[in-house]
Amino acid sequence: MSAFGVETVVLDLPAVTASFSRRLHDAGVPVTPDRPVAFASALGLVRPVSRRRLYWTARAIFVSDQAHVSAFDAVFRAVFGAGSDAASRQAPEAPKHFLPLERVSHGGAHDGDEADEVEIPRAVAGHEERLASRHFDALEPGELAQLYRLMARLELAPPPKRTRRYERGRRGSRIDLRRTLRGGLRSGGEPIRLAHRRRRVQRRRLVMLCDISGSMEPYARAYLQLLAAAAASGPSVEAFVFATRLTRLTRALRGRHPERAIQRAAATAPDWSSGTRIGDALKTFNDRHGRRGMARGAVVVIVSDGWELGEPERVEREMARLGRLAHRIVWVNPRVSADAFSVRAGGMAAALPHCDALVSGHSFAALGEVADAIAGADFERPELPEEEPEPWASATPVPGSSVAMPSGYGPSRGKTTPGWSLGR
Amino acid sequence: MNELADRIPDVETLAQRLAAVDYLVDEGLATSLFLGLRLPQPLLLEGEAGVGKTEAARALAAVLDTPLIRLQCYDGIDAAEALYEWNYPRQLLSIRLAEAGGESLREEDLFSADYLIRRPLLRALEHPGPRPAVLLIDEIDRADDDFEAFLLELLAEARVTIPELGTIEATHPPAIVLTSNRTRDLHDAVKRRCLYHWIDYPSPEREVEIVRRRVKGASATLAVQVADAVSRMRDSDVQKPPGIAEAIDWLAALDLLGIEVLDAAAVERTLGSVLKYEEDQEVIRAAGLDRLVQQP
Repeated sequence: MSAFGVETVVLDLPAVTASFSRRLHDAGVPVTPDRPVAFASALGLVRPVSRRRLYWTARAIFVSDQAHVSAFDAVFRAVFGAGSDAASRQAPEAPKHFLPLERVSHGGAHDGDEADEVEIPRAVAGHEERLASRHFDALEPGELAQLYRLMARLELAPPPKRTRRYERGRRGSRIDLRRTLRGGLRSGGEPIRLAHRRRRVQRRRLVMLCDISGSMEPYARAYLQLLAAAAASGPSVEAFVFATRLTRLTRALRGRHPERAIQRAAATAPDWSSGTRIGDALKTFNDRHGRRGMARGAVVVIVSDGWELGEPERVEREMARLGRLAHRIVWVNPRVSADAFSVRAGGMAAALPHCDALVSGHSFAALGEVADAIAGADFERPELPEEEPEPWASATPVPGSSVAMPSGYGPSRGKTTPGWSLGR
Repeated sequence: MNELADRIPDVETLAQRLAAVDYLVDEGLATSLFLGLRLPQPLLLEGEAGVGKTEAARALAAVLDTPLIRLQCYDGIDAAEALYEWNYPRQLLSIRLAEAGGESLREEDLFSADYLIRRPLLRALEHPGPRPAVLLIDEIDRADDDFEAFLLELLAEARVTIPELGTIEATHPPAIVLTSNRTRDLHDAVKRRCLYHWIDYPSPEREVEIVRRRVKGASATLAVQVADAVSRMRDSDVQKPPGIAEAIDWLAALDLLGIEVLDAAAVERTLGSVLKYEEDQEVIRAAGLDRLVQQP
């Protein structure tokens, strides 16, 4: 009877629809009240002769983003049983739970005496001042929450660009005929005063890619807060995290409650504290998002220590691609503040020629520099060190440490320059 | 609406009619198109470039035997380019003529239908029927969010408001198909008003059928080989995986050159019609053109 194969299903629809919508909602698929209504009228039209037909009908109505398909499939299977090829094709991924709050304090002791070397934003005072200069990996959970309030005040403002859209203006390159004529009617059809249009100026898009691999673990929570603060600041911000794979967090991070947004984002990314494949992550970003327009003319911020498990050549290639698309690339590397830092870390060295700025951003005070770099302040273009005894070095875990610590990461020896010191 | 219901009574009929105009659909797309048409509700199509998003709207228009009205979105598109614009030169001329002839001209005269330039959205709303026109709003993600907000009234109510003329309501609301390449997230308000379907790459068998329908006269062996090679390219590490459109172009190129069996030499000659990036061509060459055309 049916061209697509028949398999009859009998259902008590109103009740099933109601519970189905509720379960979808619980599974994280946004269901607005009008959807169940639309579903009911759709069923009136389609008459679900088969489970598969029912599946496609429900999916067309309830799913409005490909990212929700796997959650939808799981709920569909649970409510209506298996039977659709499409529903059984993808197994849903169980999100791992993320509890960096407890782990952050194990990061490593710090003297916290860099306060005199970094500029402290004026708005920050008293205990906030101390907080601002604390290394991100030495923060207590309570301090992290306070830090969010500071971060929300930080303005990450990419430079503006002229868009193709016109707006009315007193002066401008084009004459606004519509308004000129309207005005002309008032003076007896004579267009005396010319109305103008000018190109509208808009902020560039800000794209943030944050490394959440094992070596970045002490910083992950703080930077995730930074992503959340940035994402909450406006619609032209995109946030991603990566370790072995790339996860888009923009939607998860939106919302009025920062803590909930952060928990949601943490549950979204499956690869917390695993190895780093910067090259692969950048490739995924370029292929799926960057090339299609997200990175075009944008300011791209990459937060990573540059310790790469994969081939550095791949990092180099993908950075070059990204560099051709983006307006600026700002690399934030919290290890830069360490005295013994050098850019010999494989991924970092490969990426450096394509970065417009390399800043540390290891504490809230140092984030001021990140904001400057995003706004397009002039930074000396990073250069590779002259001699490279160990080209394309890979990350080696330090014995006795739970976290892989690169060799450049040691106790402070003398004065360090904030920002980036490329000395050996 | 009865005429529409007669023509498209169920999903199977729609699928068959689409096939009759050489657009092959799977059940998911057929169901979505059917619902979009009959509920009626705008349909948002997403998918990789070249999987036939735009083609879906064209095929739908062919099935309905109504005009396809296409609005290509771009950065900076606004109401004057999408909906309507007043014909200012003509208005100015009329003012001058009225002056010269000593006639009096009222504002309503200047802002009447005669001076209105109808852009795609307005044309779609004013389509006289009896079956709805198909309105394709292509690459909506290229427009900015202001434009999305502007579209909301149209998507929900099938009507628009022109300050000088009043509200224009469609007698036969158009079947609306939106496409997006996901360069940015669309606003929830837009998504909420739309049905949604993600078009996947077709299975190899279906792809063979599609390319053979599009390139009439191409040999069956060649079509199978092309579909097979294209699906291997998609699985490999290329930046821009070839879509169905590229597979069709490729088969057409091979057919035109009189090639009957795909071998490494033939691939080398025509690689440019399926892979449009130098880096991608390198990747495929490095993997070996022989392996691309190997029989499984």
